[in-house]
Amino acid sequence: MIRLTKIVESARRLFEKGRPLERLYPLYEAMDTFAMTPGTTARTAPFIRDAIDLKRSMMFVIYALLPCLGFGIYNTGAQMLMAGGHPAAFFPAVWLGLSKVLPLMITVYLAGGFWEVVFAVVRRHEINEGFLVTGMLATLIFPPGMPLWQAAVAVSFGVVIGKEIFGGVGYNILNPALTARAFAFFAYPAQMSGDRVWVAVDGWTQATPLSVLAGAPHGAGAVETLHQAGYSFQDAFLGFIPGSIGETSTLACLFGLMFLLITGIANWRIVAGCLIGLLGAGSVLMLLQGPDLPAVFSLPPYWHAVLGGFAFGTVFMATDPVSASATQTGRWIYGILIGILVVLIRVFNPAYPEGVMLAILLMNIFAPLIDHGVVEYHIRCRTAARRAVGKL
Amino acid sequence: MDVVRIKRGRDIPLEGAARRTVESWPLPETVAVVPDDFYGLRARVLVKAGDRVQCGTPILEDKADPRVRIVAPLGGQVQEIRRGEKRRLLAVVIQVGDKQDYVPCTKFSPVQIPELSRRQVVDHLLQSGCWPMLRRRPFDSIACPDETPKSIFIKAMDTAPMAPEYDVALAGQEEALETGLQVIEKLTDGTVYICCRAKQREVFRPKRWDRVTVVGFEGPHPAGNVGTHIHALDPVGPGEVVWHLDFQDVMAVGRSVLDGRFWPHKVIALTGTGFRDPCYARVVRGMSMASLIDRIFSGQEMRVISGNVLSGTDAGMNGFLGFYDTQISVIPKGGTRELLGWTMPGRTKFSFSRTFISKIFRATEFHLDSDLHGSPRAIVFNDVFDRYVALDVMTFFLIKAILAGEIDEMERLGLLECVPEDFSLAQFACPSKTDVCRIIRRGLDLIRETQE
Repeated sequence: MIRLTKIVESARRLFEKGRPLERLYPLYEAMDTFAMTPGTTARTAPFIRDAIDLKRSMMFVIYALLPCLGFGIYNTGAQMLMAGGHPAAFFPAVWLGLSKVLPLMITVYLAGGFWEVVFAVVRRHEINEGFLVTGMLATLIFPPGMPLWQAAVAVSFGVVIGKEIFGGVGYNILNPALTARAFAFFAYPAQMSGDRVWVAVDGWTQATPLSVLAGAPHGAGAVETLHQAGYSFQDAFLGFIPGSIGETSTLACLFGLMFLLITGIANWRIVAGCLIGLLGAGSVLMLLQGPDLPAVFSLPPYWHAVLGGFAFGTVFMATDPVSASATQTGRWIYGILIGILVVLIRVFNPAYPEGVMLAILLMNIFAPLIDHGVVEYHIRCRTAARRAVGKL
Repeated sequence: MDVVRIKRGRDIPLEGAARRTVESWPLPETVAVVPDDFYGLRARVLVKAGDRVQCGTPILEDKADPRVRIVAPLGGQVQEIRRGEKRRLLAVVIQVGDKQDYVPCTKFSPVQIPELSRRQVVDHLLQSGCWPMLRRRPFDSIACPDETPKSIFIKAMDTAPMAPEYDVALAGQEEALETGLQVIEKLTDGTVYICCRAKQREVFRPKRWDRVTVVGFEGPHPAGNVGTHIHALDPVGPGEVVWHLDFQDVMAVGRSVLDGRFWPHKVIALTGTGFRDPCYARVVRGMSMASLIDRIFSGQEMRVISGNVLSGTDAGMNGFLGFYDTQISVIPKGGTRELLGWTMPGRTKFSFSRTFISKIFRATEFHLDSDLHGSPRAIVFNDVFDRYVALDVMTFFLIKAILAGEIDEMERLGLLECVPEDFSLAQFACPSKTDVCRIIRRGLDLIRETQE
């Protein structure tokens, strides 16, 4: 242990002021505090501090993502095996899934981490742990068949435009991982929005349940259409359907959600709001269903909750505290509007069968406006309360 | 309103609370007057090194209002005028003499006191040196003699970690207390609130005075902060002023009126794991921390804090007990590096969050040092502030307004009701280690500058 400390100490000298690697100090600092707590002490009041820090909080989000990652790896392989007509046995599926997901994840982390380090070095601040979460999220919302170079470009865009130009984690308005996904979606529509990417077998096309619905004739029953295409509610809930890597299993997302709520990392109001909005809007549209309207109108609201990226987006993206509303009332409004928008985009816009990404990004943009309204209302209540007792 | 229940906030159970015995101590070797104890005081020094002073001799005066003076707590010889960078005044240190005498001031008999006018009371407090015990909100600076506050708050409870119990200091001081209340009551046309623990309302209830109201507070820290009391009972609006003082200072005022001299003694709690035997002690305002040396564990670097661990000041062994402080906390400095702190289960770690295993295997008391437990980051988890600030202000937006220098916005959001102390629990809990208290202080400084 003492020898190790000595080696670390001598490495440290290389990065100090005036030494050859001075500019790379943030890189050294990140590795150093990754290995051991920084050991700095509070110089001004309060002199005691909570044991939690951002590193730990961010790592807990990663832990919460592990069920989704694990299932995503299996499902990627399983879908490939089934596409080839083989049975989806566990070990071959995991092996095949790893061969697809790992390269994608490594690419994403390398590209995202590269920009994080560049900005930290140029702007001379410490490397923020947030990119660990961004990288994991981005990997899990990319389709398994996505070319690696596209993933690298998309993540670069997400990290630089979505986050770094605003000053890094904590200052961004949009969720960087979703920004990356949106970039890929609009920049490479040929690959990203067709039916070719969801199963990582070259030339194989398979539609996700939502695009099956978007392609169904008017007036068709949504649930029957899905059943005919081979999708049952149970499969959709457990995640045995094609889709982006981490988003298919609602069950895995629920495990993650449970973990985030128990540890208190995620704000439950946003999740509850999303669910209320989705179920509410879904129910209203179901009442409107008719022979002249697209099939997706007749999709029951509980189906909406298990299809596409709703569960994943709600649990891991909408709850991102930086891009969400920062007032308690605002969080309810923000969540409910996301839920409503998801349904509206899915139902009224057949060009984008998947509405979660756009709904959350749109609400990211509106979150400051919601907060502004809530804060102004709060100020008005404060002054009104004073006036009422004649104190102003 | 009889009992106010505070919901927001949380107690921090720390090892090292004082046992309920009051020790009487010999006079310290040195005492000091420290201008930084008084927010916004622009001090002029009235003595030189080598001067002989008595208990009650004016040492500092406020350049803005020379009637406001800080007096020597004990007699002796001025040892040094301690200055820091750019000749900033740090402390006037007095070597305590063997024979104690005092500067006499007007003395009133218990019969005269009900007849006193407000003018006479103000003059007495200014003359005796008791005046700085009164502080005003906004800002928590020394009260201004020309203002009349809409109400006065007397703090008779503290909920900070290891905080002293206020009834300990009560014994044998009943006469001083009644007199003090009578005098304080004359300073306002409104109510005088005594804010204490809900259970102790009967202990603190005065015998006669009708404009004095005893209000009990229940709930976790910061239920004992003056800011919480004012906010719950009589919030400070634009252009309004309330005053507040500590319960023991009421007794000091009473003593000085009856005895015709400045009363420097108070009971403080010596707390924290750094003390060999945490207890209460009757000491003198401004006493030097060096007199504690044989009561503190040696062999480990310690933080010697005047006040509580959440809002006190780092006095160090060369420092002095703060004018307003009723507690000294000594905790290990800490700062040992731990392997993989971001993922260790943390059996002994204390956290408000539920990310440590200590939440399950609950210890009753924790042993904390001054380790920061992380590096400063931009704010990410912005909902911690709402949970741990007991005032109805939107902390996150207040912080933003202050960082942006938006003075109007700060005032609209209610900054004038706040002092940094009200946010110390939020700063404790913030995973990004945001300097909330310092930001609030900066906002208050900004407003003060525009008002001057």
